[in-house]
Amino acid sequence: MTALFLVIAAVSGVLLWVRHGGSEVLFATRDAGLLLLAVLPIVVMAVLMGAYVQKLIPPAVARRWVGAGSGLRGLALATVAGALTPGGPFAAFPLVVGLYHAGASLAVCVAYVTAWGVLGVQRVLVWEIAFFGMEFVLLRLLVSLPLPFLAGLLTRLLFDERGRA
Amino acid sequence: MLLAYVSVSVLLALVVYLAAGRSDVSHREAVRGGWEQLRPLLTRLPVALLAASFIAALIPERWMIALMGDASGFVGILLASLLGAILPGGPIVSFPLAMALFSAGVGAPQLVALLTAWAVLALHRVMTFEIPMIGWGFAWRRLVASLVLAPVAGLLAHWVLLVLHVG
Repeated sequence: MTALFLVIAAVSGVLLWVRHGGSEVLFATRDAGLLLLAVLPIVVMAVLMGAYVQKLIPPAVARRWVGAGSGLRGLALATVAGALTPGGPFAAFPLVVGLYHAGASLAVCVAYVTAWGVLGVQRVLVWEIAFFGMEFVLLRLLVSLPLPFLAGLLTRLLFDERGRA
Repeated sequence: MLLAYVSVSVLLALVVYLAAGRSDVSHREAVRGGWEQLRPLLTRLPVALLAASFIAALIPERWMIALMGDASGFVGILLASLLGAILPGGPIVSFPLAMALFSAGVGAPQLVALLTAWAVLALHRVMTFEIPMIGWGFAWRRLVASLVLAPVAGLLAHWVLLVLHVG
């Protein structure tokens, strides 16, 4: 992963040098350094916070929430659980596999994945506020609130009851 | 940025306090877990920021403004949704790039659409995690149901900003 980024950085750096000269490369490097200094402390604190949350809320609790019901209540619970699930796809998808195979409806699983993607609290705290600022993040979260419901309802509308393949 | 520092510090203090009250949660384990997750970031983050900074300097601003600026409207929202769907990698790669686009003049509703598409469609994530772990039958149905989400989010953001500015 890091090697890939290194290659991309090297290629784009050389391209920038050729097209705009060495001073532009220096400016861009300085910008990246300043951004790193601003963002790194937040990332460190937020990752630590995420680790604490993972210890405080075991996956079993989230599973119970989503498994609790179907209908709008199920979608609402799936949305809350998805938003609170910390960690990347490593953490969220195994939970969906468990739910899906345990018989949760397709709509509830889709709502859960959508909520994890658009409302995921940990990603907002670790990355988004640091990069885009509070004002933008609040706007994005506000308009994202209905999305898990929309995705869940569309799933129910488009596919049969349980949506099994 | 200050607000970001304050909110994250307060939340960290809160979870540490909650953990202190629970005998089944050890600080040592939580810190070790955090360190495990942090370690790869310490090399990846600087390199990703550098790459994003170079790429941002290469993208002509007036293109970005013309294609996805505030005035680009619904077409800009659709373009941003497409771009978001194919943007590879986790937040560490995508956010510096998206931030570079934002400062290059991409409008807020367009950026909302881009990040939403990245979050719900993320085709690279579907390929590497979702299909292998949950299966194609789940993945394609979820993707079909999620196609409209990014444009909807962009339009909602456009509308919210309109209301805020008028009011």
